[in-house]
Amino acid sequence: MKVLLIIPAYNEEENIVRVYQKIKKSDKSLDVIVINDGSKDKTGILCKENHIPCINLVHNLGIGGAVQTGYKYALHNNYDIAIQFDGDGQHDVAYIKTLMEPIIEKKANMVIGSRFIDKMSSNFKSSRTRRIGITLISFFIKLVTGKKIYDTTSGFRAIDRTLIEEFSTNYPVEYPEPVSTTEALKNKYTVVEVPVSMNERELGKSSIHTWKSAYYMINVILSILVVGIRGKKK
Amino acid sequence: MTVNLFVCSLIFSCFVLLFILFLLKKQKITIKYSLVWFCVFFFLTICLLIPGLLDFLTKQLGFQTPSNMVFSLLIASLIIITIALTVIVSTQDKKIRLLIQEISILKKEANKK
Repeated sequence: MKVLLIIPAYNEEENIVRVYQKIKKSDKSLDVIVINDGSKDKTGILCKENHIPCINLVHNLGIGGAVQTGYKYALHNNYDIAIQFDGDGQHDVAYIKTLMEPIIEKKANMVIGSRFIDKMSSNFKSSRTRRIGITLISFFIKLVTGKKIYDTTSGFRAIDRTLIEEFSTNYPVEYPEPVSTTEALKNKYTVVEVPVSMNERELGKSSIHTWKSAYYMINVILSILVVGIRGKKK
Repeated sequence: MTVNLFVCSLIFSCFVLLFILFLLKKQKITIKYSLVWFCVFFFLTICLLIPGLLDFLTKQLGFQTPSNMVFSLLIASLIIITIALTVIVSTQDKKIRLLIQEISILKKEANKK
């Protein structure tokens, strides 16, 4: 099975090289593609200097558009599994295998690395407000699809070939994590959560700011409801 | 309608027409999108040139005063135009995203060789 690790990176000059080296150290055979989302810092240059495979988007697209570029690249190059992996060191390379397993065993089309499914293994401390937000999104996904997803905003996820095909033409670029999960569930793909632990961001700032949270929540819930009324594609 | 108001309105609608024609000539807008503004000009002029049309419509549609009717219809049509523009913006958003993605992938593949 050909596996591609997609690393969307926006202004990650402090982390990107270290993250790449960690991945290569854990498994040399893994293919990696960094999607440099029009970074204003040296992310692109660092990738070139360190011979990290990198697609430099000619203009900033946001995380959704960047990840979709990765899916397109995976489709063009006939990958069987595409794994989204953050460029900020938040995700742990040790769990890449865990994420792939359900797909290899054909038990799932999408696997989400979840911080909340198993509280014992997770030492991720997220703020109270964020947790409420995630629970709320979880509730709406359950409402629309009838399935419970615990970690709705996790960006650590693997998809199989069928979803690579689907997402490379049709990906919810605005609020990708919760909405793509909803769309996958709505279209009868199997989504599985596996417990992972995540690190706090090592360096740099997270892309979600507090003052944007309410706006984010309203948009996400609206998007999920829209997916709900849109119905099945197949 | 006073003569002053009539002249001002006429000048304004002529200005709209000339401005749209100017934009078309400079190729700042496409024919497709100019059409809606020609319609706006058309209705403005008709209302101006046929006296009593405004009053007649006001009575028929049940508005209290002509100004109420003009405002209501204008706001309604502007809302529709804005929604149409939002649709256009969203489509273009999609197209631009596709272009950025495909160009970036092509560039990467070109660099490999």
